[in-house]
Amino acid sequence: MTDNNFMFNRRRLLVGAGAGAVAALAPHPAGAALRVEINQGNVQPMPIALPDFLAGAPSETDIARNVTGVISNNLQRSGLFAPINPQAFTEKITNSDAVPRFPDWQVINAQALVTGRITRQGDGRLKAEFRLWDVFAGEQRDGKQYFTSPDNWRRIAHIISDQIYQVLTGEKGYFDSRVVFIDESGPKDRRVKRLAIMDQDGAGVRYLTRGDDLVLTPRFNPSTQEITYMSYGQGDPRVYLLNIETGQREIVGNFPGMTFAPRFSPDGQRVILSLQQGSNANLFVMDLRSKATTRLTDTPAIDTGPCYSPDGKSICFESDRGGTQQIYVMSATGGPAQRISFGEGHHSTPVWSPRGDYIAFTGQARGGFSIGILKPDGSGERVLTEGFHNEGPTFAPNGRVLMFFRDPGQGPSLFTIDITGRNELKVPTPSLASDPAWSPLLS
Amino acid sequence: MEMRTASVISVGLHAAVLLWAVVSFTGKTFETTPPESLPVDLVSDKDFSELTKGVKEAPKLEVPKPLVEKIAEPKPADTPAPKVVEKAEVKPTAPKTADPTPAPKPDPIADKIKKADEPKQEAKNDQPLPPKKPEKKQPKFDADKIAALLDKRDPTRNAATGDTLSNAPSMGLSTGNASKLTQSEIDALRARLYALWSPPVGAQDADGIQIAIRIRFRRDGTLEIGPQVLTSGSSPLFIAMRDTAVRAVLIGQPYTMLRPDHYDDWKEIDFVFDTKQMFQDIPVRIPTR
Repeated sequence: MTDNNFMFNRRRLLVGAGAGAVAALAPHPAGAALRVEINQGNVQPMPIALPDFLAGAPSETDIARNVTGVISNNLQRSGLFAPINPQAFTEKITNSDAVPRFPDWQVINAQALVTGRITRQGDGRLKAEFRLWDVFAGEQRDGKQYFTSPDNWRRIAHIISDQIYQVLTGEKGYFDSRVVFIDESGPKDRRVKRLAIMDQDGAGVRYLTRGDDLVLTPRFNPSTQEITYMSYGQGDPRVYLLNIETGQREIVGNFPGMTFAPRFSPDGQRVILSLQQGSNANLFVMDLRSKATTRLTDTPAIDTGPCYSPDGKSICFESDRGGTQQIYVMSATGGPAQRISFGEGHHSTPVWSPRGDYIAFTGQARGGFSIGILKPDGSGERVLTEGFHNEGPTFAPNGRVLMFFRDPGQGPSLFTIDITGRNELKVPTPSLASDPAWSPLLS
Repeated sequence: MEMRTASVISVGLHAAVLLWAVVSFTGKTFETTPPESLPVDLVSDKDFSELTKGVKEAPKLEVPKPLVEKIAEPKPADTPAPKVVEKAEVKPTAPKTADPTPAPKPDPIADKIKKADEPKQEAKNDQPLPPKKPEKKQPKFDADKIAALLDKRDPTRNAATGDTLSNAPSMGLSTGNASKLTQSEIDALRARLYALWSPPVGAQDADGIQIAIRIRFRRDGTLEIGPQVLTSGSSPLFIAMRDTAVRAVLIGQPYTMLRPDHYDDWKEIDFVFDTKQMFQDIPVRIPTR
């Protein structure tokens, strides 16, 4: 009986499968469309037209032009957009709310068009509004307005840039973010190192320390405007916390000995760091509220450069426990660690992408230093840039771009590179600069 | 003891056979270079028969004789020489039957009598004539047949077009070619869109996003109505990718590589945009110092 049932079911199944096959093979209904697969493309910077934003009054003309300039510069530096020379424009935008004459923009091959207006409100604030148009589809893709104080126009430009970037690429932008770095000035033997902060495009540099103490490895708190760094003061090098807004400074923990290589947990509630013990170094984590410290590793080796995964569940760090500096991954609570870097030479300064998909590192092989990425399981290792000296990668908030510093011999400066290895650009800084750390998005 | 030797031999032989099988059957690893994918349309029996049966109203094709549908079967070579002899024999019979009668020309009386009889004779001759005529034609100089007469080889060679199948445009032949969009036209169309489509870089991390767009074309290769997106999604990446695909299709017009004579085949096309294979080998940049 059961057998019969089984047979019956089986047959029915087979019949069902047969019917499915017949259905799949059945001819298209009469007049059905031909199907053509497009599985290759040609990734190119998108031509975008950015006519100067209109000004509500003549006094706002400069701000309007500057806002447009910052947006244009941001998009161009991303490598994904190619702003069109305004001299090619045939339509003069006189009303940022009116539908543009799309054929005029199609002629110059603008695929996207941004129109906008800056007006001063009665209360003294600025109103910035923009519309993003898809030129060939002939449609508006986005439109937003923002209010801010006039001296904050640069942030508005960054926020609009992020909005355009997100609509056109489908990914979050990274323009409304800042970078903390070590500003270096003076002769090589008496180099003054100051902690500095700037917008990601190099504008608005502000110094956070005076340069009396040596500062190293600043790192952003992912959730607040706070940074942690290591400083040589009078005594041992210590890890400090600094509030950017208030300037308030405090030492992290009460460790016996030198602490270094600090980094925040993704929730900003803990700091993970290295503590030197004799000739070894081990990883510790400190809860910033309870001040409780936990040891994570206990090896006769140098474990340093810890960095959390964005979900906070894992930690990557560098260790010479296997003989050479390599990258290891372990649970955020400690325990056994897995070596993940097996490429040529040494691997150090691991940093986990905010997207979670890659870990960037400094590679050292054949007398040169490179910046590379690999997946957290150790696969897909790629060198993005190589040379005499490259070091200290840090991810943009969207995980699409890396910033690092390069010293060709005359002193360090900052560079960005796409995680595909394309679009390497120098970041303008007032003087020599090293050890960048990218903040999360400000908004 | 014997048992043991036997089993040892047996085991040994089995092992040898197995080893041989392993060695000889493994061979080379099966290396395949992945061929470039070809679009294949599934054609059902119904489609196929519709494609080949032709149209009832279509004018019936007069199959030109020199073109053959299949290669002629070799026939036993009919030796031309005896034929000629035979025909030569037949020929004299006809005219010469008439000739002998006028032979006794010297007799004028007989001539006169004959003249009176002539209509009768002609009437009589009518009957033998029809068989004569066809026979006459064959043996006489037929320029086309001279070669055949000289050529003693197998007659199949004579069917010069025997291995040329009919390629005359026809409807309703089993080998008929229906008018169809050619592969090269589809390739040209595809190449155009490959060049124009600039998908968002983030698409490499988005497994499985496909954008299907239905386009209805005019005969001149421009779009009759706007691109109709068949797939749906709400993620920012989907929307960005959809826009890039629509933009590529819009910028690409007019699609002049599509020939108007098969307009029916391409008046409606579903494009499926897919980045799955696109980002497999991002070049690793190793700059020179």
